[in-house]
Amino acid sequence: MDPTVRDELLQLFAAGVESPLPDAAFDALALRAFRSQFESNAIYRGFCESRGAAPGGVRGWEEVPPVPTRAFKELRLVSGNPDRVERVFRTSGTTRGSARRGEHHVLDLALYDASSLPNLRTHLLPDEERIRILALVPDPKRLPDSSLSYMVGRAVQAYGAEGSGFFADPVEGVEVGAFRAALDRAEDDGAPVLVIGTAFAFVHWLERASVERVRHRLPGGSRIMETGGFKGRSRALSRDSLYGELESALGIPSSRIVNEYGMTELLSQFYEPVLIDGAEDRRHRSPPWVRTRVLDPVSLEPVAHGSEGILCHFDLANLGSICHVLTEDRGVEHRDGFRVIGRSPGAEPRGCSLAMEGLLAGDGGREGGG
Amino acid sequence: MTRESWRIPGGLPEGTRVVSLPEREGFPALHYPVLGRRGVREVLARLARARNEELLHRPVESLPGLLGRVGRRFLDTADPLRREALELLPDAAGLSSEMSREVLDGMARDWTPERLAALLRREFADPQVLDRFRSADGSGSALARSPPVTLHVGSGNVPGVTVTSLLRSLLVKSAALVKPGRGDILLPLLFHRGLEEEDEHLARTLAVAYWPGGDEEMVETEGVLFASVTQVVAYGSDVTLREIRERLSEGARLIAYPHRWSVGVVAREMLDEASAEASARAAARSVALFEQRGCVSPQAFYVERGGGVEPRSWARRLAAELERLTRSLPPPPLLLDEAARIQQTRGAAALRAAAGRGVEVHEGGALSWTVIFDPENSGEASCLGRMARVHPIGDLRELPRLLSCHTPSLQTVALEAKGVRREQFAKELADIGALRITTLAGMPWPPAWWHHDGMAPLGSLIRWVDLEG
Repeated sequence: MDPTVRDELLQLFAAGVESPLPDAAFDALALRAFRSQFESNAIYRGFCESRGAAPGGVRGWEEVPPVPTRAFKELRLVSGNPDRVERVFRTSGTTRGSARRGEHHVLDLALYDASSLPNLRTHLLPDEERIRILALVPDPKRLPDSSLSYMVGRAVQAYGAEGSGFFADPVEGVEVGAFRAALDRAEDDGAPVLVIGTAFAFVHWLERASVERVRHRLPGGSRIMETGGFKGRSRALSRDSLYGELESALGIPSSRIVNEYGMTELLSQFYEPVLIDGAEDRRHRSPPWVRTRVLDPVSLEPVAHGSEGILCHFDLANLGSICHVLTEDRGVEHRDGFRVIGRSPGAEPRGCSLAMEGLLAGDGGREGGG
Repeated sequence: MTRESWRIPGGLPEGTRVVSLPEREGFPALHYPVLGRRGVREVLARLARARNEELLHRPVESLPGLLGRVGRRFLDTADPLRREALELLPDAAGLSSEMSREVLDGMARDWTPERLAALLRREFADPQVLDRFRSADGSGSALARSPPVTLHVGSGNVPGVTVTSLLRSLLVKSAALVKPGRGDILLPLLFHRGLEEEDEHLARTLAVAYWPGGDEEMVETEGVLFASVTQVVAYGSDVTLREIRERLSEGARLIAYPHRWSVGVVAREMLDEASAEASARAAARSVALFEQRGCVSPQAFYVERGGGVEPRSWARRLAAELERLTRSLPPPPLLLDEAARIQQTRGAAALRAAAGRGVEVHEGGALSWTVIFDPENSGEASCLGRMARVHPIGDLRELPRLLSCHTPSLQTVALEAKGVRREQFAKELADIGALRITTLAGMPWPPAWWHHDGMAPLGSLIRWVDLEG
């Protein structure tokens, strides 16, 4: 890993997500990051060479060969000394138990902290220094290979007020009793909270809550960060229904529910700016150190603005692994960001081959525990 | 133009609502009927009545001719039914025109009077057991009876699957209610029209209706339907089949065809220059046909080392043949998710190649086909879109272990081997659950009487009634 690039990135991230990074400056940093990865990662170098790409040859970051998320399942993609890896994050399994999990070998957790915290702060705490954080994800001590648990753990350390805590077990899921007690306490204290959870964890909890007729009225100013989809999971629920149910169970209006889109393979995240701009026109924004494109899946060229394609991210925070990552997620460009469409629910299979099942179940993405 | 997704003899029952389903990537727009509780009962009653009046008393030997005359029209290049099928299939099924023709020809070959008669004879030594009690050896007699109505639930869009299914049903004198997959609506509808033109009375024993399965609008209709029928033939994922099973009434029979995994195997004695060339050509065809969506479509090939042509080189030949087929049997445009999945698979394989794992990736332009030569047998689900993996093996004896990760989904194994070796390994493959062992050339088109997923095509639809004393 190139230490001078790393130090510049740390400074850049510290300036926050509201400090713009002009295209030319991004491009210059991206090409230096590419050079560093090309030189320090033999597998990636071979891959780039097979595609006729090398530092000096590519004219801009867009020409840097992207690596598909699936490759994180099959190979250890470290750009630097593998002995220096500080943490390995893994994607959660899917319904197909045999499927391999994606692994992100992180050389430098400082880059993760520096990228994720200011982004989270801007989108979830634009109005508060600290807030009580109730997390429906397992404590990072109990699930050290979950990138989500790690990030939420760091957020609790940095911004969590008294009473913050984790209310999910890596195996059993949401700890319903303890969570209910924490919600009751927050109501009694009149202290606004930030509830963080995966869509899957929320659905799990809502099923229990409706059986027990639980209805909370959390103090004004409370908010929710919802993340992850239902990929390969049992019960799917439309987003509108989920937010509606959360609104009635917690008393937090759906206009204060922020979706975070993230994946184990990327150290930066994407948030909806609903607490800043309102929830009328939901879309995700990339932090200045990430460039996101919507690509035609056949040609891998950008689609026309507003057309559907697959999302491809260049994340400078991934300096220690691979910056340019091609996902399987569908999306469209929208205003200053993009909308994630994901896989169409109830998509009909086009045949009776077993390969169909993989296509429908989907894999990749993140979300440990929950 | 938005099309109707049904043909119900006597028309839609009173109270049926018609709902429109907008166009979706890969599928044209259509209207579908929400029959409701009363409507479903009405259609089932009409079919049962028609079966008693029109099917039960006909001599079974007359049915192959009658039904086959309609089926044969799909092969007659001058026939308007075939023309219409070929005009609409590319859109309806997501196949190129060339592939539509190839698939229709292959499917309809089994719908002729000769093939249907042969199927009947193959399954019943004395087909007249479907007409009356017959004695085989003088010691009591037996009659083959099917339920009044059989429900056929198709999935996906291998076109023609539900026509084959409904023909079997009518041959054993069970009226057919067909709910095709969204990509297979056209052919059963056209078949019904042909049957009406051939014999309007017999056509009363067949109804076709598509609706989006599991749709909220359809919950009530589906519930009544599944609870009322006594026999269902269903194609689909394990999840779909489980859901159907749970909704059937106690004692109803489900003939289930789950999604399957098929592979090809080439033994070293079949790897001289000429044979390798031929097997690569046949393998490419079997990959391309149905765009790999069929249960018989191969997902991977295992090639034995030590023959004249080495596995790596066989993979290159396969690639060359797939490239050739992009001209004679062009692929259709890929759906976005399919293309995304191919990019993932190709890119990951290219990285494994760069990592020195001995992987070689061969790619057609515009994602048209992909061959991945991979010394490691990952056993991973492939993806669609003419994507074939080739794994070298040291000896055929490794096969049972390598393929065991795919049981119980393993269906067809195309085994290119000779003599005693072929017999011996066929037996071993059967022991690990393979249900059909064939050649690469025969892979895409099993004979009409094949034991699909181990079951007798007609025998599975009937019950034997014994008359003793």
